Amino acid sequence: MSYIEVKELSYSYNNKTNVLEDISINIEKGEWIAILGHNGSGKSTLAKALVGLLEPATGEIFIDGTLLNEDSAFEVRKKIGIVFQNPDNQFVGVTVRDDIAFGMENLCVPREEMLEKIKFFAKKVNMLDSLDKEPANLSGGQKQRVAIAGILAMQSDIIIFDEATSMLDPFSREELVKYIKTLHKDGLTIIMITHEINEALLADRILVMNKGKVYAFEETEVIMKKKEVFTDNHLELPVALDLANSLEENESHKEIRDKLWEYALIK
Amino acid sequence: MKNIIIGQYIPGKGLFYRLDPRTKIVSVLFIMIAVFLLQTIEQLLIALGVAIIMLLIGRISIIKVLKGLKPILVLLIFTFIFQIMLNREGVMIVNQEMQLTIFTALFLLLALIIWRILSRYIRYRFLLFLAFVASIFLILVYVDFGYPLVNSFSFKIYEQGLRMSAFVVVRLLIIITLSTVLTLTTKPTDLTQGLEKLMHPLKKIGFDSESFALIISISLRYIPTIFDEANKIMLAQASRGADFSEGKLKDKLKQVISLLVPMFIIAFMRSEELANAMESRNFVPGEKRTRIYELVFSYRDVLATTISVLILAGAIVLKVI
Ligand SMILES: Nc1ncnc2c1ncn2[C@@H]1O[C@H](COP(=O)(O)OP(=O)(O)OP(=O)(O)O)[C@@H](O)[C@H]1O
Ligand SMILES: [Mg+2]
Repeated sequence: MSYIEVKELSYSYNNKTNVLEDISINIEKGEWIAILGHNGSGKSTLAKALVGLLEPATGEIFIDGTLLNEDSAFEVRKKIGIVFQNPDNQFVGVTVRDDIAFGMENLCVPREEMLEKIKFFAKKVNMLDSLDKEPANLSGGQKQRVAIAGILAMQSDIIIFDEATSMLDPFSREELVKYIKTLHKDGLTIIMITHEINEALLADRILVMNKGKVYAFEETEVIMKKKEVFTDNHLELPVALDLANSLEENESHKEIRDKLWEYALIK
Repeated sequence: MKNIIIGQYIPGKGLFYRLDPRTKIVSVLFIMIAVFLLQTIEQLLIALGVAIIMLLIGRISIIKVLKGLKPILVLLIFTFIFQIMLNREGVMIVNQEMQLTIFTALFLLLALIIWRILSRYIRYRFLLFLAFVASIFLILVYVDFGYPLVNSFSFKIYEQGLRMSAFVVVRLLIIITLSTVLTLTTKPTDLTQGLEKLMHPLKKIGFDSESFALIISISLRYIPTIFDEANKIMLAQASRGADFSEGKLKDKLKQVISLLVPMFIIAFMRSEELANAMESRNFVPGEKRTRIYELVFSYRDVLATTISVLILAGAIVLKVI
């Protein structure tokens, strides 16, 4: 059984049109998944369903073998955390320390243990010096890092990022991506919803959603070669990959192709 | 506006900082009640002296407390003046003739214009205001040439009026000082947690003090964000030609509405997202949670509470006698 299993999941906000339709995906432990898709394709809805914020109309979600339902949501959410788009709307605490503690307080972690973990995870996201700062004095990127620390402190090992970088300036964005890379190295499962192809390229596999359905779900290298996936979903392929794809497939082009891929991935 | 989140709290080390917030809330409450029980200006002045000694012992800067008084200074002065003017009991102390002539009227007009212009550029606007009030008073008293506009009138102060106004003002002063000491030395988070613990017994009558405290602390957390947002909206609207400083009352009303509507919509969306964020981090309303902050009750707290109880008892005794 995969670490995350979604079986024939459908969901509708108004009981008329399905925002998610018959979604079946498996995600392995430690994988980095990127989710692409145009506005309104159901990416955020899927993310909310995965953390049990929505109850599926039909279908099932298993996280680490546990069926997600009203009774198991509390247990499941210990494993899976979500960082939302707007850094301001998810910062619950009055200070950084409070905010990292919030999830642990809900899990009834003893105070001493909390204080230790706060230090440990604040250090991990490089916020140790800012524990007493208030959100008004933090940048968007710092707030997102605090959100990550709060999730890590709950011992979650799956983190969903729902356009978590989209409200950040280019520098903080790059920095946050850097932290996500280290989380992935540490063995966490990453699900990253994004509109940035360059960010999606970092993933092991890419899930493309279209009108609530899975349009494609394949290895990053494979999907990047399928031009029609990008044109059909109004996604823009990075120039380097576009070039690489347009080169005829033969031995003499191989080196250039590899270079172009390398270039796109570093970017 | 960013500072509003910490309120008036100023980090420091004195005695009051080391007290448990519960002690401070309860003691301030007791002493406030005691102050309301006092009946003569003499008793109140002694109380004020005690309050100042307390400030000194706690090493709280008097200037900071005075700054805390600033928002209600106008209120204090108006109470003082009204009490003096309206209360006509007891011996008359001051009886000053005043007259309003064309000259004085012109002076007043001039003073008003100068005040309107100067007040925009001056930092200590309040001192300037006092100077103007004083000069108006002097002009009314001493300028007696020119064609009189109305019959001369007199300004009278009665002993009882002076007493009453001093009484009311000193009482207000003490009470504001007390609450300033509380907010100056206690973090809002500690304050809410103190309140939460103090109101915990109300659970029996169905009052959920933990949710109440959480609501307060989240509100505290979002006040600066909301002000930021208001600022942004105002800038956005100003860049499209809205003018928030000028215009008639009707226009101003329109502008306020054009500010409030987007703010409500944003707050509404925000609350939904915040609720999602909290739920995804396993918050369940009304469930037991551990807390990162711990309140510790020490011998100092016992001492402080005892003193405040004694003060209250003393005031009650004075009242009964
Ligand atoms: N709370 C809600 N109530 C009703 N309809 C909703 C709600 N949230 C989303 N929808 C609708 O569901 C559909 C999918 O929305 P969703 O937010 O999942 O899309 P998305 O892929 O995340 O889009 P975006 O890229 O803009 O974030 C959209 O048509 C949207 O209008
Ligand atoms: Mg979305």
